[in-house]
Amino acid sequence: MEGLEKIEYKPVSVRDLLVEMKDLSELMIDLAYSAALFHSDELAKEVLELEKRVDTLAYILDMNAMLAARDAEDAESLVGVSKVAAATNKISDAAADIAAIVLQKIDIHPVVREAFEKVEERLGRAEVKPNSIIAGKRLGDLELAAKIGVDIIHIRRGKQCIINPNEDETIVEGDVLIVRGAPFGVEELEGLANGTVREFEGRSI
Amino acid sequence: MLFRKHFKKIVNKLVELKDTSELMMDLAYSSLLLNSRELAEEVQELEEHVDSLHTEFELLVLSSGFKPEESKDFLGLIRLGVVTEKIADAAAEIAEVVLRGLEPHPVLKLVIEEAEETVTRARVSKKSSLTGRSLRDAEIPEETGMWVLAIRRGKRWIRPQPKTVIKAGDVLIASGYAEGEEDLLKLASGTSKFSS
Repeated sequence: MEGLEKIEYKPVSVRDLLVEMKDLSELMIDLAYSAALFHSDELAKEVLELEKRVDTLAYILDMNAMLAARDAEDAESLVGVSKVAAATNKISDAAADIAAIVLQKIDIHPVVREAFEKVEERLGRAEVKPNSIIAGKRLGDLELAAKIGVDIIHIRRGKQCIINPNEDETIVEGDVLIVRGAPFGVEELEGLANGTVREFEGRSI
Repeated sequence: MLFRKHFKKIVNKLVELKDTSELMMDLAYSSLLLNSRELAEEVQELEEHVDSLHTEFELLVLSSGFKPEESKDFLGLIRLGVVTEKIADAAAEIAEVVLRGLEPHPVLKLVIEEAEETVTRARVSKKSSLTGRSLRDAEIPEETGMWVLAIRRGKRWIRPQPKTVIKAGDVLIASGYAEGEEDLLKLASGTSKFSS
């Protein structure tokens, strides 16, 4: 069992913490179902990574909420915030449960996949290798959505999470990209990130 | 063949569990955003519904007559069912904040508005192209990417059905990615027409 991250108080706004927890927990549910449907250990492991992040955020949020209460009225109003944070944490736990099913090699019947696939979109995970042609590029310059129909919905950089990165974000070697798009585009993006695809839209960039 | 039919039932039940638990999350956040007891009560009722759905689902799985070597596949199904129930529980806990009469902290409203997936409300004006159309014909998800969760008509809440006809003055509660919010507001206010 890996050691748990040591928790230290950091002054972060409760609002920023809760927005991140809510976004992450919802992303995790989508990722977890995708992991189950596509038998993807990689996606499942990513869910477990994010789960650790949400746990840490939950601790920091509670500490900040405690410090924000000056009187009984504050406490009454902040307990709701704490409850909602606990609920988002529970959702991320549920996503981790799905990931665990995948990693324990418990299969989910293929018929379930047909029923769950509402849209022609899938999620993918790609790690940016040193020789990738997208390393060092600004998202705004890559125009992935226009060119291959793929959105980067999340970047994990070590312990840092960048949800819905904006166009000024630059991709760095080692980044884990979570993408959403048509299956073909997702595969192309995976190739671009791991360095096996050296051309982009038929030309080098 | 018989087995296939039974299996179809299992899958349908699981899809219903998954969809209901996700609807509950959206409704729970909506109840916070609007500080609405009615929506929160709706979540609590759905929670009871999910409990019975979950039991029916488990009974279906257990009575499917699987072979010992298939038991692992079916364990996967059972576990997925447990997860959807856990999500439903989390939604019910959020709704409970409203039902306990705690005034939601202003920060919660900001969080829901700022998050990637948001809930929003839009009042339908007389000149909106939605007025007089059924939800099926209105194609709101196709036009805006937003799903209608509930409709407020006067003092009543309506659970949307495909055949529900939208009336001027209705307030639509919808969820989706934040980008769709503006499109929905435009569509409901009548400042944008259908693209078709």
